[in-house]
Amino acid sequence: MPTLPPGFRLQRETNTEEFFINMGPQHPSTHGALRLALRMDGETIVELVPHFGYIHRGMEKQAESMSYLQYIALSDRQDYLTAIQNNLGVVIALEKGMNVGVPEKGEYIRVMLQELGRIASHLVFFGCFGGDLGGQTCLLFGFKEREMIHDILEEVTGSRLTTNFFRPGGSRYDVPETFIPRVKAFLDHLEDSMRDYERFLSKNIIVLERSIGIGVLSKEDAIAYGCSGPVLRASGVNFDVRRVNPYSIYDQFDFDIPVFHNGDCYDRYKIRIAEIHESMKILRQCIDKFPKEGPWRSKEKPVRLPEGRYYSEIETAKGLYATYVVAATTGEKPYRIHTRGPSFPHIAALNKMAQGHKISDLVTIMATLDPVIPEIDR
Amino acid sequence: MGIINYAPKILDPIPGGKYVVNAIDYVVNWARANSIWPLTYGTSCCAIEMMSSSMARYDIARFGSEVFRSSPRQADLFILAGTITRRMAPAIQMLWEQIPGPKYVIAMGACTISGGPFIYDNYSVVRGAQNLIPVDVFVPGCPPRPEALFHGLLTLREKILKETCRHPWHEGKPKDVSTMDRYREAAKTWAALEEMKDEAMAEARAKFKEEHPDYKSAYKPVRVKKEDFPEVPRVPFKRFGLTQSELFAKLREKFPKVTVHTHSEDPIEDVVAAIPADRPLEVMVEPEDYLSIVEFVKSSPEFNMDYLIDVTAIDYDDHFDMVTMLRSLEHGHKLFLCVQMKKDFSIPEEKRATSLLASVKSISHLYPGAEVKEREVYDMFGINFEGHPDQRRIFLDKDFVGYPLRKDFTHPQMIRRPV
Amino acid sequence: MERKVCAHIQCRLGPMRLGWHGTIQTVADVIKMLFKEVYAPSGADKLMFYLAPLIVLIAPFIVCALIPFGRNLVVADVSMGIPLIIAVNGFGVLGILLGGWSSNNKYSLLGALRSGAQMISYEISFTMILLFVVMISGSTNLMSITLGQEGTILDWWIFKIPVLGIVAFILFFISSTAEMNRAPFDIAEAEQELTGGYHTEYNGTPFAMFYLAEYIALVTNSALATTCFLGGFLPPCIGVAFVDNYLNMVPGVVWFFAKVYFMIWCYMMVRWTFVRPRVDQLMDFEWKFLLPVNLVLLATGAAYIVIWG
Repeated sequence: MPTLPPGFRLQRETNTEEFFINMGPQHPSTHGALRLALRMDGETIVELVPHFGYIHRGMEKQAESMSYLQYIALSDRQDYLTAIQNNLGVVIALEKGMNVGVPEKGEYIRVMLQELGRIASHLVFFGCFGGDLGGQTCLLFGFKEREMIHDILEEVTGSRLTTNFFRPGGSRYDVPETFIPRVKAFLDHLEDSMRDYERFLSKNIIVLERSIGIGVLSKEDAIAYGCSGPVLRASGVNFDVRRVNPYSIYDQFDFDIPVFHNGDCYDRYKIRIAEIHESMKILRQCIDKFPKEGPWRSKEKPVRLPEGRYYSEIETAKGLYATYVVAATTGEKPYRIHTRGPSFPHIAALNKMAQGHKISDLVTIMATLDPVIPEIDR
Repeated sequence: MGIINYAPKILDPIPGGKYVVNAIDYVVNWARANSIWPLTYGTSCCAIEMMSSSMARYDIARFGSEVFRSSPRQADLFILAGTITRRMAPAIQMLWEQIPGPKYVIAMGACTISGGPFIYDNYSVVRGAQNLIPVDVFVPGCPPRPEALFHGLLTLREKILKETCRHPWHEGKPKDVSTMDRYREAAKTWAALEEMKDEAMAEARAKFKEEHPDYKSAYKPVRVKKEDFPEVPRVPFKRFGLTQSELFAKLREKFPKVTVHTHSEDPIEDVVAAIPADRPLEVMVEPEDYLSIVEFVKSSPEFNMDYLIDVTAIDYDDHFDMVTMLRSLEHGHKLFLCVQMKKDFSIPEEKRATSLLASVKSISHLYPGAEVKEREVYDMFGINFEGHPDQRRIFLDKDFVGYPLRKDFTHPQMIRRPV
Repeated sequence: MERKVCAHIQCRLGPMRLGWHGTIQTVADVIKMLFKEVYAPSGADKLMFYLAPLIVLIAPFIVCALIPFGRNLVVADVSMGIPLIIAVNGFGVLGILLGGWSSNNKYSLLGALRSGAQMISYEISFTMILLFVVMISGSTNLMSITLGQEGTILDWWIFKIPVLGIVAFILFFISSTAEMNRAPFDIAEAEQELTGGYHTEYNGTPFAMFYLAEYIALVTNSALATTCFLGGFLPPCIGVAFVDNYLNMVPGVVWFFAKVYFMIWCYMMVRWTFVRPRVDQLMDFEWKFLLPVNLVLLATGAAYIVIWG
């Protein structure tokens, strides 16, 4: 038995010659700087080892010399597709320490931006899924609607991508008057175009052929690896932080948590499409109930956390995003901040899913996991 | 590209030959400047804006650049979208070498220009792409908007149009830009300039004071009135599963040694009961008990901690705290196990920074997801995991010296943040 | 043209700067590629490496020579036109295999092997369709195939034989798309999987040749479809003498290229709307579906000719 490169463990007897392929760090379908070492038998994947760290930026080390508020800006750059949601994750942890609440209007702003961010991220997923299967046009369709969300975000936060918007006790600014009409117009538009897009992919025979039964992640495996978000829910586990540990005011809305049971690529695709519809439902309720009057943030206080350890978790578009803040002394600087990104366990489980499939299927599986590498490496 | 570079030498001496050379120049530059094919390369946030720029709203195709080639051999332009880390740097240099000349580089975003938000206290980010490869155009922003990228592209186009085969494109070499703290350098220069200005103005000021002895500035500071916001109480937290006290009591029944971290003298039950509902219970665990406790809470139906959220650690002066975050998907309660590990001070002091200082049992056979998390803790803190199947560095290179998240970690390229 | 069509499908503008609406963008691309640095990767078989794009480029050019563009406009009017086209088309696979193998790159090799398997399989159904055309027209000469369709629009082979003609045309469309390695059958290039397939390691002029070969193959295949099914250079007469007179006044070349452009447009529409199947599914499709249907078609065609022809 020849010695295997680091990371490979599977020992097996074969009659064919195995070979190794290196995928990444610069590869169009690894969604960033991820390197996958593939052990192949013909076109079939025998084993797969992910290599991380190509975009490890030492954020946690940096956070130790930053103030809490500065770290909110860094959290944008972890999962840049759901930057606005990461902000909230950090801010909730800080609020627990400062013991401040958020007025009703502030909470509505939060929830609406959260759901807009979720739709934006899922639209990118939709595009990448189609694009990775070979339909370049899908990629553009996904990004087309996303630009409208960016317009709204830009109007509210001043930035397209790295929003840096929420603060303990509310947000940086009030929303402009045009916010609600714009969201309304966007939702009407999205409803139409989602119908088209679903017709484009959901029933396409080639898509069905390529995604049903591919990359199956069983319920037990999904839990054991610590997967979260759509990946976990596609495997039949009804786990959504918005439901089991409601943060903000998510307990006041009527929405469903879509759960699918096969755990294959098609389910992971369907669940995200279903989640876009659920987000739209939440947004519509928000528009109806949005308070016109009232304060949009609570009294401004210096961000100083008493000694202790604070933990918050939220549900971003990718899954469970947890922030763990350690304050050794009362002050403006953290002793340590740790972030738990949802994509990390997904990539760890990639080997389980990809084994025995073709190299083309690996691309499909990667697309449906929807990983964001800087969030893994931090 | 080889042949046309000889054209001026042959044609220029011939009468009228230089017009031919000019014509060749015009055609070649026109083609090069209008058909710039970028390489599909992106590491982080800027990559998304780069993608947006090729999408329907912005459409980079208008400039003939929408053909993103994924093979560097067919590309002309290397858009460095996203932070460059030391681990990625060799790959970038290799990619750049593989692009056939004439090749151009656009450094997109603050990170590739100077390190951006990752300048200070950072051990892994390369401060500026120009340290690795020659850069033609810098596009600032964090991340730059697609319009900014287009401006960069058009600037590059102008640069290409200025080339001639008399002075052909040549492969540049990376400039030796030291990784000095440019912010502080600039601040020094600025202070010196201010001083000079001050000296130059001193005479004029004295003269003015002589002429107008009782002059008073008409400027009155205006304070913008701050909006008043009410204080809002926190919304009570909805709890699922067992309460902290129940969890703690049940755990204590089985393992009498577990405690919680506290400074007060009250009985431990009261301390646990005083923990707010939105904060998970964090129990202190002896390293010997750690594995058996995890096994217990995973298998016991009352706890049923089947979901591992994360494994992380905190470095203190004389000990590590390793925190294992567990959760029960069925019941909804969370339990954090904090293992306090004394640092191994028998290791001589000069070797401490590079050696593993503590050791604990691995739980990766119980939770397969813990494998990568434990590798991360090993990589960042230098904690040894006994029985880990594949204990390698995960984020850093094999030959990286030291463990970055320790408080006493130093790195030659790290610049401290100015206070 | 490809880039404009794709851009409009994707709700954007496409090249706008060069010429009117970017019409001469391709010229700039080709000139740029010609003046780029050329090198072969280390470990590559240099001779094979540079030979491969030439082979790939030659094949569609030979096909070009055989196609009648007008009544008197044909380079080589050989009597064995169809067999020659089949033979030459098979030649292109060799170039792709050589290119992939000589690049000393695993991705290239995988791409080349995929495309070898794919093209050889689809060659069979491609051949069978052409055989069907030969059968109903009774000739292997492309000129006489075209002239056999003289008359009204209903005399074209696609409409002349009820149902069978259209079925044959669709089958031809599918197998020629696969034959050209175009999306959705572009598993050999599969940018998302293999970063470029067999031409991953090519740059500058050799890459321009591959690129060019792809588009020339597109034109020749469209021309072949036009000749065999859409009446070649014949105008679409509708049987009303008044209209037909005007239609006949337009030279045949114009009709020919109008039809070719329509075909190219069809190929592009397909390319930019479908996603790519996996390699084994592609083979299944050929061997388990396309080939049986072809055989049935051939048999029914023969029966039709025996009974009514």
